[in-house]
Amino acid sequence: MNAAGKLILVAGLILSAATVQAQTPPRERKEPEKKLREKPITVPFELLKSRHMALQVKINGKGPYRLIFDTGAPTNLINTKLAKEAGVVKKEDKGGFGLFGMAGGKTIDTLEIGDVKLEKVQVMVMDHPTVTAISNALGPIDGIVGFPFFARFKTTIDYQKKELTFEPNGYEPGDAIQALMDKMMSAQKGKQEPAIVAPAALWGFGIDKDNSDEEPGVVVKDVLAGSPSAIGGLKAGDRLLTIDGRWTDTIGDTFTAVSLVRPGRAVTVIVKRNGKEVKLTVKPVKGA
Amino acid sequence: MRWRFALAMCCGLLPAVARADDPKPAEKLTKFEIPYRLTDTKHVLVRVKINGKGPFNLILDTGAPALFLTKQVAKKADIEVDDKGWGAIGKFEFEGGLKVDKARAHVTDIVQVDGMNGLGIAGVELHGMIGYEVLARFRIQYDFTADKLLFEPLVGFTPPPPEKIDAKGGDDIQTMGPLVKMISALLGIKPNFEIAPRGFVGIEFDEVDGAVVIKKVLSGSPAEKAGFKTGDTIAEIKAYTIESGKDLAKALAKAGVGTKLRFTIKRGDKTEEITIELGKGL
Repeated sequence: MNAAGKLILVAGLILSAATVQAQTPPRERKEPEKKLREKPITVPFELLKSRHMALQVKINGKGPYRLIFDTGAPTNLINTKLAKEAGVVKKEDKGGFGLFGMAGGKTIDTLEIGDVKLEKVQVMVMDHPTVTAISNALGPIDGIVGFPFFARFKTTIDYQKKELTFEPNGYEPGDAIQALMDKMMSAQKGKQEPAIVAPAALWGFGIDKDNSDEEPGVVVKDVLAGSPSAIGGLKAGDRLLTIDGRWTDTIGDTFTAVSLVRPGRAVTVIVKRNGKEVKLTVKPVKGA
Repeated sequence: MRWRFALAMCCGLLPAVARADDPKPAEKLTKFEIPYRLTDTKHVLVRVKINGKGPFNLILDTGAPALFLTKQVAKKADIEVDDKGWGAIGKFEFEGGLKVDKARAHVTDIVQVDGMNGLGIAGVELHGMIGYEVLARFRIQYDFTADKLLFEPLVGFTPPPPEKIDAKGGDDIQTMGPLVKMISALLGIKPNFEIAPRGFVGIEFDEVDGAVVIKKVLSGSPAEKAGFKTGDTIAEIKAYTIESGKDLAKALAKAGVGTKLRFTIKRGDKTEEITIELGKGL
């Protein structure tokens, strides 16, 4: 398989973030967008030979252009040609075009895919070499539709029907480019301390695992009387396998799993007890 | 062994066959709830075990034609890689219980994964990405207001394999590799993907009119040893004023096991200070 089939743009992002960091102050945050109508919209996609999904997309009323739909892309992306045609950047604009024509974060006034219409959409302007390569081989492709678009919807991908379904879900994707820049700015030099992960609620038990223990799960050490986990039937000596479907193979894993369970939500906990898997329900509470 | 390997390679794209751990004919599973997280770079991250090893952190990426794994992962998971960089996978299991039969992986060190790991910008170590060859076998629902993705096997559907295209110059992005490594070296960033548990207090609380009131002190907990009592109002932790559960979570966010913290509490008419050493637990 030709590696050109691979299409993600994080390297580009890293570069742009690094360059921008040195040159310009952080951009202003964008206002939240208008709420969309609440019914699902189905849009057909074209399955390219490279097996990318291609969509017909109107940008600022121009087009349609053929863009790739990519769940692995943290930003939307258009090439410089489209950006100029659709007025995303000014035709005479020469500044900012660095490596691969990168102009960093811009805003599209309207982006339309079938009956889906979004306003004020963040986009990166860049002649991404992989997009260009696929475009040369398979006909014009002018960019990528990524996370800031599909995160706003309950999005279903069906390769059998070659359909995407979008149902507005109220999710605000934020600004990936800004987040990356913030991250780069705050990145500490030298060896970093491990990140501390906090449970989102109180469960009331302790766990342990020996370094030599490579079996799945962690050992439940103590279950405090009257705690949510005691009420749910957890016992000292149980081997904790999953919390809410998430593997708990290490202490870190377990804390990650409980960092994602809000107080008052009853979740399934699976333990191994006397060689048998036992399914429990535990409802952690507000606490620390 | 060799012929079996070859056979698996030919049949890399058989229809999806997914099964539950313990199939019960009465309640046939047609949808799998797959836990996910969003990385700091807004990638959709799921975890998988490969040949019983892992879990590995993989990005769901429709922009990738196949399953891509780093060389390190292939080695850990005992994947035998052929001279074209492909390896057949015996057991491929998503967190959430979905098993994928006859998966194969392209084993290579991709600049995007290397770059993100080098800078630590995803906030989590990445081990590869799951692309078209696996994703196309399922109808997948992404909803970031929910905490699971939904995977529905497309039974009887054989996704057409990717065709080789003549795409010149597509590897240019890979030449960024050394550049990315240089940037991380220049910035002096050495990411640490390890995580440490927050320290344990052992209190259940209520939020009452802009105050955090202890509802229960768990017996045997650090809070009990330190002398907290039911009905105490937590007014301050160190210099933070506590008016909500959120304030409390913020004040404790970076306190690991063994951290000593001074709490100011209101008990009846009195204001008292209690110092607690956070313990192990959750």
